[in-house]
Amino acid sequence: MRAVPRHVACVMDGNGRWAQRRSLPRTAGHRAAETTVIDVIEAARGAGVEWLSLYAFSTENWNRPGAEVDYLMRLVRRVVRKHAPLLFARGIRCRFLGVADPRIPRELARDFDDLATLTADNRGMTLTVAFDHGGRRDIVEAARSLIRSGTPADEVTERLFANHLPFPDTPDVDLVIRTSGEQRISNFMLWQVAYAEWVFPEVLWPDFRAPDFLACLHTYRRRDRRFGGVPPRTNGDPA
Amino acid sequence: MTTGTTRTADEAPLFGPESQFRAFFDDPRWALAMIRATVLEAAHPQIGAALVDNSTFIAHPWRRLRNTFLSMRRMFGVDPAVREREAARLNRLHARMSGSDSRGRAYDAMDRATRAWVVATLFESAITMCRLSGQPLDQDTMERMYAEYRAFLAALDGDAAELPDDLNDFWRYFDRVVENELENTEAARVILYRLFDHLPAPALLDGAPALWAAGRAVAGPLLGAITVASLPEPYRRKAGLPEMPGAPTLMQGAYLAAGLARFLPEGWINAESIIEVLSLSPGSDDPRARTVTALHARMKRASALLRLLTPLSGDAAPDPAPSAGTGESRRSAEEFFRKVLDQTGDGHLDWPDLAAMARELSTRLDLDEPEETRLYEAFAAWWRELQAALDTDGDGRVSADEYAAAVPSLAGPALIRVAEVLFDVTDKDGSGTIDAHEYRTLFRTAFHRDLTTTDGAYGQSAFVGDFLSFMSGRRTSTPYDPLLADA
Repeated sequence: MRAVPRHVACVMDGNGRWAQRRSLPRTAGHRAAETTVIDVIEAARGAGVEWLSLYAFSTENWNRPGAEVDYLMRLVRRVVRKHAPLLFARGIRCRFLGVADPRIPRELARDFDDLATLTADNRGMTLTVAFDHGGRRDIVEAARSLIRSGTPADEVTERLFANHLPFPDTPDVDLVIRTSGEQRISNFMLWQVAYAEWVFPEVLWPDFRAPDFLACLHTYRRRDRRFGGVPPRTNGDPA
Repeated sequence: MTTGTTRTADEAPLFGPESQFRAFFDDPRWALAMIRATVLEAAHPQIGAALVDNSTFIAHPWRRLRNTFLSMRRMFGVDPAVREREAARLNRLHARMSGSDSRGRAYDAMDRATRAWVVATLFESAITMCRLSGQPLDQDTMERMYAEYRAFLAALDGDAAELPDDLNDFWRYFDRVVENELENTEAARVILYRLFDHLPAPALLDGAPALWAAGRAVAGPLLGAITVASLPEPYRRKAGLPEMPGAPTLMQGAYLAAGLARFLPEGWINAESIIEVLSLSPGSDDPRARTVTALHARMKRASALLRLLTPLSGDAAPDPAPSAGTGESRRSAEEFFRKVLDQTGDGHLDWPDLAAMARELSTRLDLDEPEETRLYEAFAAWWRELQAALDTDGDGRVSADEYAAAVPSLAGPALIRVAEVLFDVTDKDGSGTIDAHEYRTLFRTAFHRDLTTTDGAYGQSAFVGDFLSFMSGRRTSTPYDPLLADA
């Protein structure tokens, strides 16, 4: 069996369907997702995952109904504030990927900043929350930054390009878990998932729990063993 | 104490390390006593009017504290030449302050009786601070101290005739002024009720506004109550200051606790290093700055945690507070007005605001005549230019709105002239460039890395350009920030 994946990313899908099946408003599904998020963070830390990324809100999610977006913003703010001391105490370094849109309430952006500042020196696990994130946008930003730095075209390598992405210290994603059976990439960390393994558990995100998460890790490790003969690196980064 | 057996005023050195005054320098009680003395000064109608008009203590209290401290140290130092020079500087500074108060009464910072009162409040507050903390001074010490303070006044004014010769007469003089002359002035009210509640963070704590605000919310009212309770009863009655239950006990407790610091090992409390560290900004190249930067980072984290832990106030409506930094390197016109232009913190741009800038610059550069006057004149010309360009309603001063409406026209020829004069007076050796030493005198830090310097010197055109970009382009993160913007 291969080692535990270094960088796991979760696309938290199925909140709305979870609520619909229970004849609840969609917002109830988002609320129920909070428990899963905390559960998964703990499970990942316990299993020895060093990097965990959660896809909380995409640049496309702004197209949802205004009331739902508003609710999400308030919910996220409450969750961030509620769990900040715990995340800090558990030694988890938190940071937020994206967060560029002016529609994000200023108080929420402030809380993101505060949580990132507070936990900046933690070394236990790095939790990257993709909020208002778009993979293509990050790549375009990196290209802009590269051009601004005046690098000659011939000198641009994959490595150099990656250095201009936001949070360049983030390693390539080893495993992406997308819940609710949907099998799409949805513009998520496009650069970093280049060599990632994907698993698509059928369970909806609010029902996803630590055992499901560990099962996904197990799938990843078995999968590796099954393809053991091919390149020793699933992680494209030669570092 | 003196070692000499004969303690005539001529033989015992009244100034220097042996003086009573120096003994209080590092005493934490002195901080409380200074606040009290300042209120008593401000309650004098002449001083109160001068403070309200000219002083920067509301907008830049920490810079003011530092300047006052350094000036006092020079005045009570051993070297008579330094003392004379400092006295001359203070006299020039005060000679530039005169005007009239809100009721049309004239004030003049050179008025001899008024200046005697300043010295009297310092002396009386020192005595009272010892009394309140349960360690009253004996008669000999009091008399010696009185002689020191009279000598201080004499160094400023030529002689101390305005203060009674004898300590016994002094108390009568003091009570008479408190009873007859002190008023419930605006300046005293500002110090008691506004300053502590709005005290801006010193440079050190500037990055931790939440932490500062939380500490201030507790300490502000306490300091106010302590100061009120320590004022002389006749003044409290006259100014209608509240008698709060428990305040006298609190006040005596505070003085007593501060007095306990005498049991700390010598050198633990050093007023000078405390003031220096407070005014140190984390970016500077001072060796202590690294510790400060580390401290700063910890404080930033602490205040982040504090903000995250503060309960949400219901469905908090988005507050229309400062715009979330559109363009990091530019500050809003409103912020620039408040932090840099409105030095006296009265909400208007007026001549005293620009005079305060000139004062700060000439203090930093330790200017003598005629350079000091040149600098003031350049600022005065700039003020005329500003007034002509910005004062649209013709009330003689520029409001924040008038300024915001006309920001682009700020960089006129008179401002360029200010920059040129500032360059000339900073370039002490007249070499045509500002070298590392001259730069440090002005900005208290070394050349910045990104500075466009050639051969470790700073040429006039670069200097003028940077000054203009600070003053009109409203660029932040320049060396001018600690000079004119920091509290």
